[in-house]
Amino acid sequence: MAGRDYLGEFEHMIVLALLRLEDRAYGVTVRQEIEFRTKREVSIGAVYATLDRLESKGCVKSHRGDPTPERGGRSKRFFRVTPKGVTAVNRTQRAFEKMTEGLDLIRSYS
Amino acid sequence: MTAHAQFVRPPRLATWLVNLFVSGEEESMVGDLCEEFWQIASKAGAAPARRWYWRQSGKTIAHLFCTRFRAAPGRTVAAIVGGFFVGGFVNGLPDKALSAVTDRYLLFWSSHFQAYLWVLKGMLIEHLILSMLVGCIVASVAKGGEMVATITLALVRCALIGAALLWVATHLPSDVAWMLWSLADPFAIVVGGAIVRTRRSAGRTRPLPI
Repeated sequence: MAGRDYLGEFEHMIVLALLRLEDRAYGVTVRQEIEFRTKREVSIGAVYATLDRLESKGCVKSHRGDPTPERGGRSKRFFRVTPKGVTAVNRTQRAFEKMTEGLDLIRSYS
Repeated sequence: MTAHAQFVRPPRLATWLVNLFVSGEEESMVGDLCEEFWQIASKAGAAPARRWYWRQSGKTIAHLFCTRFRAAPGRTVAAIVGGFFVGGFVNGLPDKALSAVTDRYLLFWSSHFQAYLWVLKGMLIEHLILSMLVGCIVASVAKGGEMVATITLALVRCALIGAALLWVATHLPSDVAWMLWSLADPFAIVVGGAIVRTRRSAGRTRPLPI
């Protein structure tokens, strides 16, 4: 079992956001999705740093869209999860489930 | 996008600062910031949008700073250490040159004291120009991490100047005002880095006007 096959906390969130957003996944929508669901302010720099790391691991792929005026003529960079990314997110999710199995987090530790 | 939002622009200074840290492939990050700025401006108005933009830019720069450093730590550290020694060497040159001139023409300076003071002020400007040159050299070596290298070098210099200022303040309080000038040197180093970075970025494809 290789440690690198698991995702970090923020990587996990990003991959889940990409899976939710499907074809609409780019910097703005990913950031807003995480902020909306976790109520945690996320910087666009953190999102891109994590996406770049995930891309170098082979968990996500990116492609460029067309430039638009409201973006100052800059293009969007769309992301999608690769099969390796889906495997990694499943493995991480299962590991969390195994670790929390039998724990009553709300009653015992709050 | 509302008609009002069309006239609102993202803060140029913040955009320029973020651009100093992004590479060509990361321009979509600046595009994302602009796009969300418009969204917030059309919903909540210009002031909250500007506040959001500045906050996001600050956080983004902090992230990019760490990312750039981790991407090439060896080259960045080498550039900083090299810049530190080069800076130490070249910053002493104006003093030596001035001493050589003043020692040679002592009689002239004693009868033209105002000119002597003017030369001393000129030496401070020389220091700034040399620090800026050091910033340019460091930025040229730390390709891709220009701002990280120059800002780190400037922070090291600031810490040393701060320590020196403390010593001077306790031992020679009358010289503190004179020494405060040296705090401009680290700033000049960062300006040198920004010049090199901006020139390199200028080679990239220019975005369409908003």
